[in-house]
Amino acid sequence: MNPTAMAVGVVLLIIILGACWYVSPTLGLTALIGIIIGGVLIGFGTHFVPVGGAPAAMGQAPGIATGVAMLAAGAGLAGLFGGAWAAEQGMVVAVVTGGIGGGLMMAITCMMVNFVYVYGMGIPAASGKVLHDPITGDSQAEYKSQGTEGHGLPFVSFVGGVIGGILGGAGGTLIYLELLGLYEATFPKMMGATAAQVMPVAVAIAGMFAVALFLVNAVLTAYNITGTIEGPHDPKFKRWPRAIVASAVASALCGFVAILIVAM
Amino acid sequence: MSVKVEVIEGGVPHNKIMIAGLVSTLVCIYLTYLNAFTNTEMFSFFGGLAVVSALIWGSHTIKVLCSYGIGTGVPSAGMIAFGSGTIAMLLATKYGMMAPIVALVLAAIIGYILGYVSNNILNMKIPAMVQALTEMAVVGALTVMGFAAMISGGFTFTGLTTSTASFLGLPITSYANSFLGGGLIAVAFLLGAIAIQHPFNACLGPGWKQDRMLMLTAECGFLSMIVAAVMSFALISAGSALISLIIAIIGWAYTYSQYFELSKRDAAAWLDSKPIPDTEGH
Repeated sequence: MNPTAMAVGVVLLIIILGACWYVSPTLGLTALIGIIIGGVLIGFGTHFVPVGGAPAAMGQAPGIATGVAMLAAGAGLAGLFGGAWAAEQGMVVAVVTGGIGGGLMMAITCMMVNFVYVYGMGIPAASGKVLHDPITGDSQAEYKSQGTEGHGLPFVSFVGGVIGGILGGAGGTLIYLELLGLYEATFPKMMGATAAQVMPVAVAIAGMFAVALFLVNAVLTAYNITGTIEGPHDPKFKRWPRAIVASAVASALCGFVAILIVAM
Repeated sequence: MSVKVEVIEGGVPHNKIMIAGLVSTLVCIYLTYLNAFTNTEMFSFFGGLAVVSALIWGSHTIKVLCSYGIGTGVPSAGMIAFGSGTIAMLLATKYGMMAPIVALVLAAIIGYILGYVSNNILNMKIPAMVQALTEMAVVGALTVMGFAAMISGGFTFTGLTTSTASFLGLPITSYANSFLGGGLIAVAFLLGAIAIQHPFNACLGPGWKQDRMLMLTAECGFLSMIVAAVMSFALISAGSALISLIIAIIGWAYTYSQYFELSKRDAAAWLDSKPIPDTEGH
């Protein structure tokens, strides 16, 4: 960990919050805080997702056989679409719906991945990082092939994937709702039209910003993980504090730009 | 952590590609402004050409970045480029004629901060990281702006959010039937994001050749331009959209055949084996 850079990050975060308070003290600042919370949820949640990359495709490492950015985007966007459907039913219902959407997407993905591993490739699920599964207590070492880092998707990775999907989906939905609320309140005056007329524009821009913010946070977290992670029991999981700072700075920066559209 | 896995010398230096890409992209985007002067939509196709030149620059930037083993796969670079670029582009459209310049500056700032965050806070420590993320955010912003100019004929916020339709002889303003309101930006986003990351992902390896990768980028760019030209039928006049479509198809056919030639050149041995002949009497 780099303490100087962390301090610079926190200072940057405070500067952006101050700038946002200056241009839009009430509406903008509330939205920005929501966006930062959403971004941090995405960054933190991505650490739970079992990412295997190319080695997993060859059965030489546990996890889902693709990159962090792709998995996070898949789970998070599924959650975001789920949450966007429920946007009119209030913040809590929509965020929970988004979380369930993302979690469901990851649960289905993890289950199908294990079907392919077990019945298609003929390999059992075994973790290479721990001797016993932290949740079920099952012994792992006997099932692990020599020369590999484990393979398949152990139960703890499955649970991690679902938790990651829930956090990512909820975070993405929160960003979308904050921006949608802000744009719905300010676009009619800015564009000189009725609320119903600007609705498609508000939805499209809020959605686009949510997707863009999601991808930025997911890729930054991918850089933090550098490659593969097994889930919450992996030693790499301990790197999450610096991802929190990075996600907060990136979300604050991008969210501030999104707020400037209506504040300037 | 940061080991440069590929050292390939030769070819055009990166700075030259960057300057050429930046200048030609900005010039092409501004050429679409001829639409406003001549009161037509005929010059929208320049937006597509801006996309192609920005993508060529961007794919070479991805090559520079991903030559270091970043361990997250090449597609993630394309995703962060367009994620940060689109944010800058959407704000920049509010500045009217200055939009491309504002997009350039704003995207560079966002990219620079993201580069600092990943290099220092996340401890990536890759020498090319800050410059590459800065460049890629600019490429993302200008590419989406090029698509916007091509599909809707302009790049200002008003032009991207409204369109005038005629209803019973009366002109009415429609918000849903526009580049932003209709959600066409989501398609433009992914058309660009896939086109920017695919070429290096497909060409990387010990046999990497610069001209072959850049030709593939141009091919991907024109392929995206064909799709964008088809979408532009919804927002600009059919004649103008047809001009874009024809230029895109010609460009794609040329670059595809060229890429095919280069692939044959770089293949270890090219043997045009015919299918097994059907012989009689067996």
